[in-house]
Amino acid sequence: MAQDMTLLWGSGSPPCWRVMIALEEKQLQGYNSVLLSFDKMEHKSQQVLDINPRGQVPSFKHGNVVVNESYAACFYLESRFKSQGTKLIPDGPEEQALMYQRMFEGLSLYDKLGAVIFYDYYVPEGERLESALKRNTETLATELKLWEGYLEKLGSGSYLAGKDFTMTDVVVFPTVATAFRFGLSAGHYPKLGAYHALMKERPSIKASWPPHWLENPKGQDTLKDI
Amino acid sequence: MAKSMTLLWGSGSPPCWRVMIALEEKKLQGYNSRLLSFDKEEIKSQEVFNVNPRGQVPSFKHGDVIVNESYAACFYLESQFKSQGTKLIPGSTEEQALMYQRMFEGLTFYDKLTAVIFYEYYVPEGERLASAVKRRKEALSTELKLWEGFLHKTGSGSNLAGKSFTLADVVVFPTVATLFRFGLSEKRYPRLAEYYALLRERPSVKASWPPHWLENTKGQDTLNDI
Repeated sequence: MAQDMTLLWGSGSPPCWRVMIALEEKQLQGYNSVLLSFDKMEHKSQQVLDINPRGQVPSFKHGNVVVNESYAACFYLESRFKSQGTKLIPDGPEEQALMYQRMFEGLSLYDKLGAVIFYDYYVPEGERLESALKRNTETLATELKLWEGYLEKLGSGSYLAGKDFTMTDVVVFPTVATAFRFGLSAGHYPKLGAYHALMKERPSIKASWPPHWLENPKGQDTLKDI
Repeated sequence: MAKSMTLLWGSGSPPCWRVMIALEEKKLQGYNSRLLSFDKEEIKSQEVFNVNPRGQVPSFKHGDVIVNESYAACFYLESQFKSQGTKLIPGSTEEQALMYQRMFEGLTFYDKLTAVIFYEYYVPEGERLASAVKRRKEALSTELKLWEGFLHKTGSGSNLAGKSFTLADVVVFPTVATLFRFGLSEKRYPRLAEYYALLRERPSVKASWPPHWLENTKGQDTLNDI
C-alpha cells in the first residue's frame, strides 16, 4: 500500500510535514519519499509539475490518485485508512467540532506566521515596509495569545483539540514547531512551549523532523521578542 | 434540530454563504438566522464576540457546540447529518480525493480574489502600491486559468469534483459568484461562467443568495479587465 505512494517534499515546509506526520500516524511508512531542495528550485522541476501544475510541494500520489494540498492529503489518508493506525477524527460531536474548528484556525496561524518569517519571500524588495512588517508582527502576537488561551483552557498535557491527539495536531504542530525554530520564546508562551515539548517526543514527529533542523539545531531569532 | 442552531452572518460574505448552502443542502432550514451589517460594525458587537473571540462571521452554534470557521462548519454539518439531505462527500476514494483537492485549492482561489477586490480593506492607505495591485491581478488571472482548466477536464455541465455536487461546490461556488459580481468577464472564462449559470439555479444557492445582491443587481467592474 505505502509502496504505491509517493511524496515530493522539502525540508522545513510545514505543509509537507503535515502529510508526513499523517503517513506515519496511519502506519504508512515505506512510501516513496522524494526530498527536494528549495535552494536549487527543485520544487519547480518537471518532476513536480507532472504531479502538481502549481509547482508546489507537498505533491502526493497514491497509485493514480493525486492529492496535493496538505489538508486534503491528510483528510484523504484518514478516510482511506480509517481502520489502521491512529484514529485522527474523533466520533463525538463536541470533540469533532473542536477539532475542525482548530484545524481551520490553524490556517490563520500559519498565514500570520508566514507574513512575518517569510515577509521578504512574499514581498518584492521595492514594496517592503517597516510599518507593514510591524503590523504583521502585532497580528501574529495576537494570534499566538489566542492559542496560548486555547491550551490554557484545555489544561496541562492536552493536545490542541482536547485530551487526544487528532488531525488538528497533525496540521497545526508543524506551524508551532516552526514558530519555535524561528525563536519564539517559551518564556512568553509557556503553554505552547509545553505543547511543543510534549509533541517533539511523539514517534511520528521524531520520524518526520526536518532533516536540516537536525543538521543545524540552532534556528533563527526572528520571533524572540514577540 | 435546526431550531437549536444559530448562524450569525453578513450579506455577500463568501465564508458565510458556504455555511448557508451547507445548511440548505442538509435540510436544516429553520435555523436562527442573524443577518448582521458590515457597515454598522455589527460584526464586532458583543453578540458576535460571545460566540467567536475573533469577532468574525460566520459564527455558528448548534446547541452548546460552536464552529466558527466556514470549512469547519461545513465538515461538521456533513458529518453530523450524513444521513439527511444531499450526500456531500462522495463514497469512492478517487472522487473524495478530487473533492478534497479542489476544496483546499478553493482557499487559495478565495485568497487571490480577496487580495484584489478587498485590497483597500486589507492594506492601509499609506502602504498601497500600484505594483502590488498589478501583481495581485496577475496572480488572480493565473489562478482563474487553472480553474477554467479544471472545469474543462471534468467536462461541460459538471460540478467541481466530477459529476456530483459535493462539499467542493459548497465552499467554492460563493467565490465564483463573487468573481462575477465584481465584473469577471463571462467571455474570457466561459467554463466558469457555465458553472456559475448551472449552480445559481440550485435551490440551496437561490435560497441563500446575498440579499443586497437581490436589491442591487448591478455589481462592480473591478475585475473587468482580468
